[in-house]
Parts: sequence; structure tokens; C-alpha cells
Amino acid sequence: MRILLAEDDLLLGDGVQAGLRQLGFLVDWVRDGQAAERELRAQPYAAAVLDLGLPLMDGLDVLAAVRRAGITLPVLVLTARDTVPERIRGLDVGADDYVVKPVDLHELAARLRALVRRSHGQPQEQLSAQGVTLDPAARSVQQAGAPVPVSAREFDLLHALMLNAGRVLSRDQLEQHLYSWGQEVESNAIEVHVHHLRRKLGAELIQTVRGVGYMLAREQAPS
Amino acid sequence: MQPRSLQGRLLVLVLALVALVWLATAVLTWFDVRHELDELLDGHLAQAAALLVVQQAREIGDGDDDDRRVDAPSLHRYAPRVAFQVFHEGQLTLRSANAPALPMGEPGEHGLNDVAPGFRTVQIDGVAWRVFSALGAKRDVRVFVGEQVESRAAILWAVVRSTLWPIAVALPLLALAAWWAVRRGVAPLRRLGLTLAARQPQALSPVMLADAPSEMVPMLAELNSLFARIAELLSAERRFTADAAHELRTPIAAIRAQAQVALAETDGALRRHALQSTLAGCDRATRLVEQMLTLSRLEAGAAPALSTLDLSALVRSAVAEVAPLALQKQQTITVEANAPFEVPGDATLLAVLVRNLVDNAIRYSPPRASVRVSVARPDRAVRLSVEDSGPGMNEAELGRVGERFFRVLGSGQEGSGLGWSIVQRIARVHGVSLKTGRSPVLGGLSVEMDWPVGA
Repeated sequence: MRILLAEDDLLLGDGVQAGLRQLGFLVDWVRDGQAAERELRAQPYAAAVLDLGLPLMDGLDVLAAVRRAGITLPVLVLTARDTVPERIRGLDVGADDYVVKPVDLHELAARLRALVRRSHGQPQEQLSAQGVTLDPAARSVQQAGAPVPVSAREFDLLHALMLNAGRVLSRDQLEQHLYSWGQEVESNAIEVHVHHLRRKLGAELIQTVRGVGYMLAREQAPS
Repeated sequence: MQPRSLQGRLLVLVLALVALVWLATAVLTWFDVRHELDELLDGHLAQAAALLVVQQAREIGDGDDDDRRVDAPSLHRYAPRVAFQVFHEGQLTLRSANAPALPMGEPGEHGLNDVAPGFRTVQIDGVAWRVFSALGAKRDVRVFVGEQVESRAAILWAVVRSTLWPIAVALPLLALAAWWAVRRGVAPLRRLGLTLAARQPQALSPVMLADAPSEMVPMLAELNSLFARIAELLSAERRFTADAAHELRTPIAAIRAQAQVALAETDGALRRHALQSTLAGCDRATRLVEQMLTLSRLEAGAAPALSTLDLSALVRSAVAEVAPLALQKQQTITVEANAPFEVPGDATLLAVLVRNLVDNAIRYSPPRASVRVSVARPDRAVRLSVEDSGPGMNEAELGRVGERFFRVLGSGQEGSGLGWSIVQRIARVHGVSLKTGRSPVLGGLSVEMDWPVGA
């Protein structure tokens, strides 16, 4: 899951970025409000962690601008502003969650997963489709009750497809989900990951839509 | 010891004064009445004697000598205390029943005639008498009229008693009235006490007392100004606590995040980085706490005692303490403070001030920048200036500098924003003006402090 972190404090930003990476997130880190707005407009992040006291542009202004632009991604505000009126204001401006520093990194990760899940209309933490179950918290995949070992990239790819089940994702979109800044993307990387997943989980799970991209069929209601 | 009640004290005082005045009146009355009484009764004695003399002359002329020693009747309750004797040619011819047989004046060597006419006090059978003696027109008649001194004392006592007895009755009544009056008088005090007692400890609004007497107005004003000062102190304290809690959140969040990363990290280099960041976060939090405490002490404390010190020496040693940071950033730091300049100040606080100023200059200037600290004496002032070749500040930032926790955003520095508040506070304590601007020589921020020097 690729998220944007906007935090001007060097030590805290570094720590949160490293911590979320350990927990399987792809984290892009910006240090001021203008950069945060620019990146949120440009990239399809799964979620954003936003500090409020940002240089150049306050976090609340960033949030308001992004919401005005019609961007609906889940935003978690992480701030030292802890009074009730400030919390209310943050939520009213468009935050999906409001967390006061300091925060446990596992809790932060769990909140982000919950926000992403809800934003895709998923009621449960675990995603399943056609006998395959994906657990975002444990970062594990099971098929017919048996664990299937997958690489981090394969997991992220499968996660993206399952979250967007029933929709076609282009190769570019998938790349944006899988790679954060500065990571080299080889031209056929997505094809290779899809190939590996098909080998491990069966050829029918991921469908190729010629000239467009890939899709994971939505699970049919049991008849 | 139980504190004495104001009401009780007033009551005792009023009653004691009343009793004293009354007693003084009685004593004066006693003296006055005794004097008047003596004059009056002496007059009566003299008059009685004159009457007797006149009557005696006639009776002797009539020649009826049969019963000359008839006792005169006693007609009044005072009568037994009044006595008279009439002597004719040395013989007692008439006397009152209570009069002695012997003459009431002491006869001299030549008989009764030696007794000088007029008043005298004599002892007869152990009783003191006031006696008036008179001579008849013919020298052979001698009249003595006497009165017991004791009877005069009885009259006098009766008069004085009549002035004393009302006080015995009136004093308890007066006490009651005075108690009521005093109680009414001190009622505002009691109401103030009740009002204060009914207050919540955190209520610091001014005390309002309806119809407070003028004597209590200054006290109320002082009380209210005390409340105002305490309220101000409390709100500063609360603000400080809130600020502290708020400002510590980010450093603590950083420490927590880095520690958590270090705990989970398997890669040695990354783990080491996270641990070092944890330590850096602790150092930052420590520095922040130290600065907050310094500021808090400065804001709460009274003005320090200023002594004369050499500013140049102080600046040299303070800069030496922060110089390593400049060396780390490969900055050039110059100190121009060779000649001694004496200024009044507190050495500890001024060292904190110089360290903060130079520390700021170093932190907010890029690597290889220049920092210049100088002490000089332009006309009428000793000037400490700290300049750097850093980015300086724009107008808006210069205006906000010194606000607690304000820091120039995006500077990439881990400052707390408290250094400036501390510097300003110390400058104010020293009565020294603080001027910020752009350094004409180095191009960055320039801070100047001027100690006025007496002409």
C-alpha cells in the first residue's frame, strides 16, 4: 500500500517512514504543505498521513484544497494539536481520522489499513476472492486454508487487485501502487509479478484485459 | 492564643470609657457638693446662732429666770445632729437636748470669753462637731451652735450616691446597646468573611461587597489586586503547562517512532540509524525541557540583583561553550571583545543570553557561514552584537520572533522556538534594548543589545 507522509519534523518523519515501511507500506515523505498538496493531486495514494503544522501551507489548508479538488483518498491527521475544537475542525475539514502525537506505529498502520479498507467498501480486514484470502495486517495469503508464500511486490499487487476487485487496473496504475519514489521500475515488472502469482494461485484468478490491464473478478454471491 | 474579637474589643473599650467618665463625674460632684454643702450649712449655723443671740438678749431683759435650761424640742430628723448652747455670764442658760453640758468651744484661761467667735471643728465625746460660736450684744451672752460633721458626710454621700446609682442600672443596658451598635458596625467585615469563605479556591474574580464602608475600600482594592495578580500567575502557569505538553508531543512521538523502528529492524545499519535518531530525539527533548524551565524561572522569578561585570570576558567564555557546534558545521566564528566593557548585569543570565543568541546564529546559518560576535562602545552605549551570514528573517518573521515556540518554518532545524523568548526576557530584566535586523556586513540576521552608559 502506498501512502504519502507529510511531516516537517525530521526525526519524526524519518521514524514514521521507516516504521511504516517495516509494516509493509510504501511511504513517500514530503516536508511541507505545498509539496503535500502537489503529490496528493499527482499520485493515486492509498492514504495520507498529514501533520497540521507544516511549513509553507498549513495541513488543514492542504486538506481543504485536496477535498475541493475532489480527491477522496483517506487522510489521517497526525498532530500535536490536541484540543477538542481542533479535532472537530480537522474532521470537519475532511480528515478521516485524527490522531494526536505520539502514536504507536502498529496502531498507525492498523488505522491506515482500516481507512483504506473502508474507502474500498470492504467490511472486513481480510479480503477474499475465489478461494484466495489475503490478510493485510499479517501480510499473508492463503488458498483453500493453506498458506501461499508470496514476495512483497506480489503481495502488494494482489492486494491492489483484490481491493479493486471487479475493476480493471492499468499497468501504470499498478506500478504507482507498487513503487514509491526512487525505486527503479523495470518495463515488464508487472507482467513478471502477475506471472508468478498465476503460477502460485492458479491461472484463472487474475484476468488479462488486452490493451488495458488486469482485473480480479469480484466474488460472486454464493448461489 | 485565641485572636481577640474586634467586636469584643470595641465593646469593652466603649463600656470602660463610659464607666470612667461617669466615675469622674461622681468624683467632681463629690468635691463640688461638699464645698457648696459646707457653705450652705455653715451659713445656717451662723444664722441659727444669730437668732439665738437675739432671742436670748430679749429673754434676759424680760427677767424670767425660772426655767432657763429648757431643752428645745427636736423637730426634724436632722435635729439630733444639730445642737446649741447659750451661756449667760458663764452659766449655761439654754441648750438643745443633745448638747453637752460643757461649752462646745474649749474655754481658755479666762473662761468662755476667751473663745474666739467663728467656726471651728471640735471633738466632743469622740464625735466631730462643726461649731459656730457667737457673742451677744452684751459680752456676757455666749451662743454655740454645733452640727455633727458626720451628718454633713451623710448628706454628701447621699448626693453622690444619687449620681452613682443610675450607672449601675444603665451600664448593662448601655452594654446591650453598644453590643448591638458595634455588631452593626462590623457587619461588613463579617459579610466579607462569609463571602470569602464561600468562594471556590479557583475563583479569582474581584470581591464585590455592597455598601462597603470607606475604611474597607482600600483593603478590598488590595485584595482584588492580589486576586488579579494570582489569576495572572495561574494563567501563565497553565499556559506554560499547556505549551509544554503540546511542544513535547512531537519530540516524544519521534523518540517513540524511532525506538519502535529500532526494535523491529533486522538490518544492522538501519537499526543503528534508528537508535541514533532515538538518542538525538532524547537530546532534543532534554534541550527543550531545559529551555522551558529557564523561561519559566525567568517569568516567575523576581528581578535578579545586578552587579557590575565585564561583558567582554563574559561573551568570550559563553562563545567558547557553543563554538564546537560552529566547528561541526565548518562555520567561521569571530569574537571582537578585547577591551573590557563594564555593564550592570547578572552573569548567569547574560551567559544564557549570549549562548542562545550565538547558538541561534549557528543553527540557522548554513555550513561554512560566518558568525560574528562583538562588544563595542558607540556613543552613550555599550553594544553587544551578534551577526551571521545566514538567510536572516523577513519582516513578518522578525515581527513574530520571540513569540513562544515560534520558529521559522522550513529551516530544517530542531529548535524549540524558545531561545528567543529567553533572550527577550533576559534583555527586559536587564532593561536593555534589543534590536533585530539585517547585518550590513554579513547579510544575515543581526541582533544588537545596547546598555545605556551614564554621561
